[in-house]
Amino acid sequence: MSERLDAVVIGAGHNALVTAAYLGKAGLRTLVVERRERIGGAADTTELAPGARVPTLAHTVGRLRPSVMRDLDLKGHGLSLLSPIVRVFAPSPDGSAVTLFGDVAATAEDLRGRSAKDADAYAGFDRQVRALGRFLADLGDETPPDIQSPGFGDALAGLKLGRTYRGLGKLDARTLLRVLPMAVADFVAEAFETDALQAAIAWRGVRYARLGPWSGGSTAVLLVDGAGNEGDAAGETIYARGGPGALAEALAGAARAAGVEIRTGAEVGSVTTIDGRATGVALASGETIEARAVVSGTDARRTLIDLVDPVTVGPSMRWRAGNIRQPGVVAKINLVLSRTPDFPSAGDDPRRLRGRILVAPGIDAIERAFDAAKYGRPSETPIVEATIPSLVDPTLVDGAPDGTQVMSVLAQYAPRELREGDWDHRREGLGDDVMRVLESVAPGITGLVTARQVLTPLDLERDYALSGGHPLHAEPTLDSFFLWRPLFGHARYRLPVEGLYLCGSGAHPGGGITGGPGQNAAREIISDLRKRRLRPASSAG
Amino acid sequence: MAERYDAVIIGGGHNGLISAAYLARAGLKTLVLEARYVLGGAATTEEIVPGFRFSAFSYVVSLLRPEIIRELRLPEHGLDILPLDGTIPPLDDDYLWRVNDHGRTMRELRRWSAPDAEAYEEYGQLMVDMARFIKPILGIVPPDPTGRDPREFLPLAGLARAFQQLPERQQAVFIQLMTMSASDFLDQWFETDPLKATMSASGIIGTYLGVKSPGTAYVLLHHYMGEIDGAFRAWGIPKGGTGGVSLAIASAARALGAEIRTEAPVARILTKGDRATGVLLESGEEIAASAVLASTDVRRTFLQLLEPGTLSADFEAQVKRFKFRGSSGKVNLAVDRLPDFTCLPGDGEHLRGAISFSPSVDYMERAYDDAKYGRFSQHPYIDMIIPTLVDPTMAPPGKHVISCFVQYAPYKLDPSLGTWDDQREAFGDAVIDTIAERAPNIRGIIVGRQIHTPLDIERITGLTEGNIFQGELSLEQLFFSRPVPGYARFRTPIRDLWLCGSSTHPGGGIMGANGRLAALELLRSRGRKAA
Repeated sequence: MSERLDAVVIGAGHNALVTAAYLGKAGLRTLVVERRERIGGAADTTELAPGARVPTLAHTVGRLRPSVMRDLDLKGHGLSLLSPIVRVFAPSPDGSAVTLFGDVAATAEDLRGRSAKDADAYAGFDRQVRALGRFLADLGDETPPDIQSPGFGDALAGLKLGRTYRGLGKLDARTLLRVLPMAVADFVAEAFETDALQAAIAWRGVRYARLGPWSGGSTAVLLVDGAGNEGDAAGETIYARGGPGALAEALAGAARAAGVEIRTGAEVGSVTTIDGRATGVALASGETIEARAVVSGTDARRTLIDLVDPVTVGPSMRWRAGNIRQPGVVAKINLVLSRTPDFPSAGDDPRRLRGRILVAPGIDAIERAFDAAKYGRPSETPIVEATIPSLVDPTLVDGAPDGTQVMSVLAQYAPRELREGDWDHRREGLGDDVMRVLESVAPGITGLVTARQVLTPLDLERDYALSGGHPLHAEPTLDSFFLWRPLFGHARYRLPVEGLYLCGSGAHPGGGITGGPGQNAAREIISDLRKRRLRPASSAG
Repeated sequence: MAERYDAVIIGGGHNGLISAAYLARAGLKTLVLEARYVLGGAATTEEIVPGFRFSAFSYVVSLLRPEIIRELRLPEHGLDILPLDGTIPPLDDDYLWRVNDHGRTMRELRRWSAPDAEAYEEYGQLMVDMARFIKPILGIVPPDPTGRDPREFLPLAGLARAFQQLPERQQAVFIQLMTMSASDFLDQWFETDPLKATMSASGIIGTYLGVKSPGTAYVLLHHYMGEIDGAFRAWGIPKGGTGGVSLAIASAARALGAEIRTEAPVARILTKGDRATGVLLESGEEIAASAVLASTDVRRTFLQLLEPGTLSADFEAQVKRFKFRGSSGKVNLAVDRLPDFTCLPGDGEHLRGAISFSPSVDYMERAYDDAKYGRFSQHPYIDMIIPTLVDPTMAPPGKHVISCFVQYAPYKLDPSLGTWDDQREAFGDAVIDTIAERAPNIRGIIVGRQIHTPLDIERITGLTEGNIFQGELSLEQLFFSRPVPGYARFRTPIRDLWLCGSSTHPGGGIMGANGRLAALELLRSRGRKAA
């Protein structure tokens, strides 16, 4: 490449696109290189049958930061969000169900038939998790301060966080410290007595993580998940019209409008370095691209272990990066259905099927599903979180036969590392296990399936470059949090190689469709490039 | 009322006795009231089988604070800790025997894995560094994180400075210790399964968590903080059993002027307005005191010893939320010969240390799985010690006592199992069966056995739900939040009522820091010098 770039971004996942768009808006010459032919990473839509499009991996986008929406004018670039009034419908095989609405009073009212105590407790619980979630959201907006050699800005950030913490008030402030390391099963049991309700909320404390509800620290996972949206007890269920791929398209549109170039089918083989400083990337094709800053949208472990030469990283850092935990436990099953399935426990209220449909009938049911994963086995009865987005967004099926619906199913626990067999041989078995679970709450659903796609953790790793099959790049747990995500001392988006940055889910504030790491990283990269802290690439060496 | 005391202490466990000693040393007229016939709480020595003396509950010592040993001159009062050398997990046809002799341990580890042997040295040094760094916290009275008194935060600021001076890698490891599971943490260094399993065991003691649950790496560190004569991580057996520790402290307290009464159970803490004024004994006797220190756990103290309605409903709710969930039991065996292990036959040196039934990480985790669903482990983790090999006075000549710490034994059993009174013998049998798999002669050598389920521990010692640490040692119940957020400074909502037991910072084990800190904090509040 003849002209010198300010930044080359590795990967075109949603965070990488966010970073690129911000860099472009700041007037920095930016190139995005994506290994796949498609952009968006885990924010993707697949046409599974003619005219029927399913959310390939992520199925909701409700945690996307409003400031990212605004700054990048994603609406103007075609993004439209749809939010059903039902957030979660949690049917049990015994025919009962719990429904969580976006409206707190509606949820409480619905719970009253089940337990008056829980109905009364719901609003208080909702208020508490919102307050704690808001603090964590503020934390998520910040670049973790430099505590090694704090500067003025870091002291300011520290003060601001201290003030926000105090702003919680005595009770919530104490509660926050007490509950973060707690098992989410204990946390929900402090408020509620109904097992199915406990499970419907606790689920978000273990989703995507190799944790069970009895594992310590799962409450933090729940609260951080809440931090990315309104922070309420029900959790977000917001769809992008046209599927998650539409979000990627809008981001790409915003980036291109800001002058960013995006190349697909361009796999990065390595990050090039001179004297310990990143100078650009070398593509697998042999082409090299120079840039003042190299920004990695892939995970920190892959970046430091696979893309940078070992001498530059050094043995101690390689040991640390190699120990970043990425134990993927999630599989994805996508279905095209000939019509809307019947969920007897939804009664005659089809609205209930518009949110997330969660089959996690109790705390122990989740824990038992988790037990198998501890020993390298997929759960026999996996926990299933499904959506039927076409009920809310008919454009997903507008080319398909009348009545067609698409269903997106997240299944947990399916450990990436199996003790026996391999995922290539167990893929369809997993699909069948998931169908069995769905059949237990929606009898007859199997007969409606006209197309099925099963993505195992191995597929997530191979096809989407998610190391360990982990959709969040690293565990969402307290050992990979704030000042120490991805690595202690390197949480400020600057990896331990000068000029190399991290902008993906493996960075603070973590994974999910939020744009948070991408937005924060862009802020730091722009600041460095403007300060000319990086020597121009041409003078390197 | 005959006499009036400056301080009356409920409970003659090690923390209560230590508080008493420090208060008496400062000149306070101090009285300790113990419900049982024997002093020590969970640190007692009792003759259950004639001629055989057992450390009935707590059985080893390493965490006892050296400043307490020094300040109370405990060796002069009979404290003698005999070293316990080595840890060996017996396996099917092998073992992994670590001893204090560094060279021997290295050779043994190399037999299993050369990289592990190399990592072991590095790991050991790192943990010593970590323990050195964090140890001052044992002497810090936790500030209220929402408080505005900067003086409360000063000691913490010192710790923050010390943290900043650590190399980055150590900082990172410290964070991992505070947040990870023992199993994930150890995975970073080691590949040998029985090594990881045995090391991870100290991460679950007294918790209701498995080795794969986040939060257990911290407990690993907690148990690294012990020291005997300045040597880190050395465990020992007190001469005369753990009761020997209690008796030494009691002797020191008496010498300093404290009065101690046994078989004097307290029925009520007396209050007037928002103030504690003394205690009422079950005998009907009233004892007036300017301060009442409860070494009993937080639930027993606030929910059983106080007149209902004394505390605000909100505080009571927080007390009820404090988790106990005893998860361990104790099986004490009187034997006429030594157990003979298939993997290493004979009466060798390997019997003089800890014999750890922890063959694999999965074994440990499966033991926990049973407990999660309300069952005692069919194949439990057992930490077996034969104290008579180090201290022969505990049994008739040639005979032995065996102490088995057993986890998991959940206090709350699945209702289908009935109660612990129904399951006690089955639990004991599961332990014996597990031992017999490795030492088949065990059934033939037992001349007496004592089984302590969590229910028994609660009934005998008063420890709520049989939790040996007076409350789970989980991160959400430590430091700022132990026992109740906002009340981590040994004070309670009732003026002149103080807590001094393991329910307070820094938690359980025969450490004594709680009793000492509580006493010093009380003295400071009264403007008295500690001595």
